[in-house]
Amino acid sequence: MESLPSRNQISSYIIQSQEEEIKRIALELHEGVGQTLYSVFTGFQFLETSVEGDSLKGYIHEMGELLEKTIQEVRLLAVELHPPTLTTLGFIPALKSYLKLYTSTYGILVDFINDGTESRLPEHHRMTLFRVCQEALVNIAKYADSLQIEINVVWKSDCLEILVKDFGKGFDVDKEVQQSAGIAAMIERMKIIGGNCIISSVIGEGTVIKLFLPLQS
Amino acid sequence: MKNKSIARVCDELLLHIQCDFVGYAFQDRIGPNIRWLVAAGNRNDKYKRITVRYGKGIAGRVISTDRPMMIADFPNNILGKALEYPIMLAENLLHSYAVPIHLNGIAKGVLLVGERKNKRIFEEEQQKSVQKAAIKIEELMNTHLDEDRW
Repeated sequence: MESLPSRNQISSYIIQSQEEEIKRIALELHEGVGQTLYSVFTGFQFLETSVEGDSLKGYIHEMGELLEKTIQEVRLLAVELHPPTLTTLGFIPALKSYLKLYTSTYGILVDFINDGTESRLPEHHRMTLFRVCQEALVNIAKYADSLQIEINVVWKSDCLEILVKDFGKGFDVDKEVQQSAGIAAMIERMKIIGGNCIISSVIGEGTVIKLFLPLQS
Repeated sequence: MKNKSIARVCDELLLHIQCDFVGYAFQDRIGPNIRWLVAAGNRNDKYKRITVRYGKGIAGRVISTDRPMMIADFPNNILGKALEYPIMLAENLLHSYAVPIHLNGIAKGVLLVGERKNKRIFEEEQQKSVQKAAIKIEELMNTHLDEDRW
C-alpha cells in the first residue's frame, strides 16, 4: 500500500496553490484590468482635446484624473499581492522594493545590509523568504512600536542567514508562539522549505528574528 | 510660513480640547498621494515619512468621501485592516476624529485629533472645535495661495 503524503507535503501543496492563485490574480489585474483601464484613459485624453465647451472639457478632465487614480490603485494592488520583481530579478530586489514601500507606509526606518551575492533560489523558496520577512515587518509595524529596524542578509557558500531586528516593546515569545497564528505560520513556512526560524525577544528592548536556509552548492 | 501658522492652529487645538495628538495632512501638488505635514503632541517623527494613498487610511478616506470620520477603540470595529491606518499605529492612538480641509471647494487635506489612553471618545463639543480649527486652516490656505504659486 502506498503511503499517504506527509503533513509537510500537504502544507506545502496548500501554500503553493494559494501563492499560484495570488500570482494569477495579480497578473490579471496588472495585464488585464490595468491595461484596459489605460486604454480607456487614453480615450478620455483624446476626448478632452476634441470636445469644445469648458464645462464638458472640465468634466472629462476630472473623469480622466479619477481613472488615473484607479489605474495607480490597480497597479499597487497587483504589486502588493505578488511583487513581479521576485520572479524576474530575485529575492533581494523584491525585498528592497518592499522596504521602500514599507517606510513610506508606516514611517519606520529600515537599515538594510546585504552581504554576498544572491544565489539562484527556486521560486517557491524566494516566495517563502519574502512572505516570512513581510510577516515579520508587518508585525513590527502593528505591535512593536519601533522607530527603526535592522535587516542583515548574509549569503554564505552553504546557507543563507537573514536577521530582522527591531528596537520596540518586545514580547513573551513562548506565550505568543502558542497564541499567534502569524508567528506559527512563519516557523512552519521556513520548515517546509528545509529552513529554520528562531525568534528571541526582550521586553522593553526589542525582538530578533533569525532565518536560516541551507543552500545547495 | 504657511505650515508654521497651521502648526500654531494645531498646538492651540491640542490645548483647547485636551487631546494627545493633532495632525494635519495635505494632498501632494502633483499626484493623488497625501502626506502628514504638521503634528502636535507627536511621540516620534514617523508621520513625516508616511505617505497615504488616496482613498486609504483615515486621511485618504476623509478626502475621498469629503466627510468627517470617527474611529473609536482602534483596532476594534474598523473598516479593513489595522495596517491601513498607519497614523493610528505610528502614534499609538486609540480614538481619533478627522475632518476634511477644502481648497477651492474641493477636499484636499485633513485635520485629525487623537487620544492614546482609554478616555472618552470625541464628543460633539470637541468635534465642533475641530471643525472650527479646520475652517481656520482653510482661511490660512487661501491667504497663502500666492505663496504656493511662487
